[in-house]
Amino acid sequence: MARKAASMKIKAGTTERRENRMGYAFIMPWILGLLMFTLIPMVFSAVLSLCEWDIVTGLSTIEFVGFDNYKGLWNDPKFWQSLKVTFKFCLITIPCYQVASLMIAFLLTLDIKGMKIFRVVYFLPSIIPTIASTMIWSRIFSQDGILNKALSIFGIKGPTWLTDKNTALYALMIMGIWGIGNTMIIYLSGLQSVSEELKEAARVDGAKGWQIFLKITIPMLSPTIFFNVVMAVIGSFQYFTQAYVMTEGGPLQSTLFYNLYLYQKAYKDYEMGYASAMAWVMFIIIMLLTLLVIKSSSLWVYYQNDDKI
Amino acid sequence: MVYKSKKINAIIVSITATAILLAGAVIIMIPLFWTFSMALKPDGEIYTSNFFPTSLAWDNFYRAVTSIDFFLYLGNTLKIVIPCLIGTVVTSSLVAYGFSRFNFRGKRTWFLILLATMMLPGQVTMIPSYLIYRQIGWVNTILPLVIPSFFGGGAYNIFLIRQFMAGIPKDFDEAARIDGAGYLTIYRKVILPMSKPVLTAVGIFTFMGTWNDFNTPLIYLYDSKKYTLALGLAFFKGLYTSKWNLLMAATVLVMLPILILFFFAQDYIIDGISISSGTKG
Repeated sequence: MARKAASMKIKAGTTERRENRMGYAFIMPWILGLLMFTLIPMVFSAVLSLCEWDIVTGLSTIEFVGFDNYKGLWNDPKFWQSLKVTFKFCLITIPCYQVASLMIAFLLTLDIKGMKIFRVVYFLPSIIPTIASTMIWSRIFSQDGILNKALSIFGIKGPTWLTDKNTALYALMIMGIWGIGNTMIIYLSGLQSVSEELKEAARVDGAKGWQIFLKITIPMLSPTIFFNVVMAVIGSFQYFTQAYVMTEGGPLQSTLFYNLYLYQKAYKDYEMGYASAMAWVMFIIIMLLTLLVIKSSSLWVYYQNDDKI
Repeated sequence: MVYKSKKINAIIVSITATAILLAGAVIIMIPLFWTFSMALKPDGEIYTSNFFPTSLAWDNFYRAVTSIDFFLYLGNTLKIVIPCLIGTVVTSSLVAYGFSRFNFRGKRTWFLILLATMMLPGQVTMIPSYLIYRQIGWVNTILPLVIPSFFGGGAYNIFLIRQFMAGIPKDFDEAARIDGAGYLTIYRKVILPMSKPVLTAVGIFTFMGTWNDFNTPLIYLYDSKKYTLALGLAFFKGLYTSKWNLLMAATVLVMLPILILFFFAQDYIIDGISISSGTKG
């Protein structure tokens, strides 16, 4: 009896060892990648943000400067401008894009003919290469472009969108609406997973359509809203190609997005230490905003079950 | 009576919804149609206000591909896209298999790290990676764009495949093991064939992501002979600022493969996005 138990224990031990060995063997490519392309660069980046570094002479002239780069950021008006642009973009576009994409997704769940075609049409612009849509919208926003032609029908003389400091950022926001298909798809599949029984039960209890939407659909959808908002914040801080190609941050720094300024510091001015400091500030801001959303989420996010992972 | 008014209500709702959706769809499609129409306009009509060209200048496409090294850029792009595709699909499925099938020590922690890296902005690692690649002489080669995909192929893809594999019953593994199959054989002969839908989705995402990528090639490829299509298009815009018809023709050519891929594989793409956001799967 005791012997049997002991042998079973040994057997269990070998299974455990085998599970360990095989598990690590299979995930090894990712662990190596994590080390080489994430962890080591992260440590390097943190050190670099505390150093002055000249790319021409290389590692030999690296000089420890403490928090000088961060102090430099604090006193750099362009840094504050880039934060302002990015936050302004977040504050205006996130509510607009989320409401618009949720509305479209909701309309698509109503019993409508041609739902699949609509879904394709609304999603289509978000798969178009950013560089291609950037070209398209550069033309749309040009003075004699189609947008100003459309406005002139209503007797409005359109601005020169991308070369006017008062409109350039709004032009990029308008362009962004074109790409909300991705968010819309996520809402659509979130809406489709809201339990029909629950809605039916509410209907039996005499709830009206909009009451069901506000009291059942939105709470059930809150994890999806949470996901989309966090992704949108990250996206705004990584906004680059459109600003780089269409406006180069101008006119008068009105579209100097955070990521664009970071790129300019790193690859135009070759101030790698300074740019690394910017990257860390960005990381911390994103972490704080995400934490804020997570903390507040207990107030507004409703999780039906926690067994997803 | 009540029943009838309810039915009329439903009809009104569906008509209103369709009308709103239709209006939105038209607005969304106008820029796209306009792009195609611009691409086909003869030189004399670039600045005229007609929406459709009076005659179709198909040779714009020929002029566009000959005024830049279009096919060189296409070749360069494929040289990056194809290895990335192979590296990502192979290694992300291996790692996903590891996460979905073995109870190794520290698995939960590793998986949380995996999820955390999905939130990490690439900018934090971008500069040091660039400096390391520079030190080992990889800058201005395709290696920095290709090699990382052979090491797990991205947290997002691993997560996507793992979610799918977790849904495959373990009975299939057991049956194969009784037949004497090893773990690698089970992965290759049982799990991979069953994971085809998610692997296809990951393949499509990788193709689109690499094809569309602008930021990474911009940082690593200086030499215009090594440009990808995305870089080449931006370069084109700088060269011919007034030839909008040729620029739009080139734009159409750059997005055409993606559009074709989308029309054939839209269900995979849409399902993939839904799974990754946690709303499905």
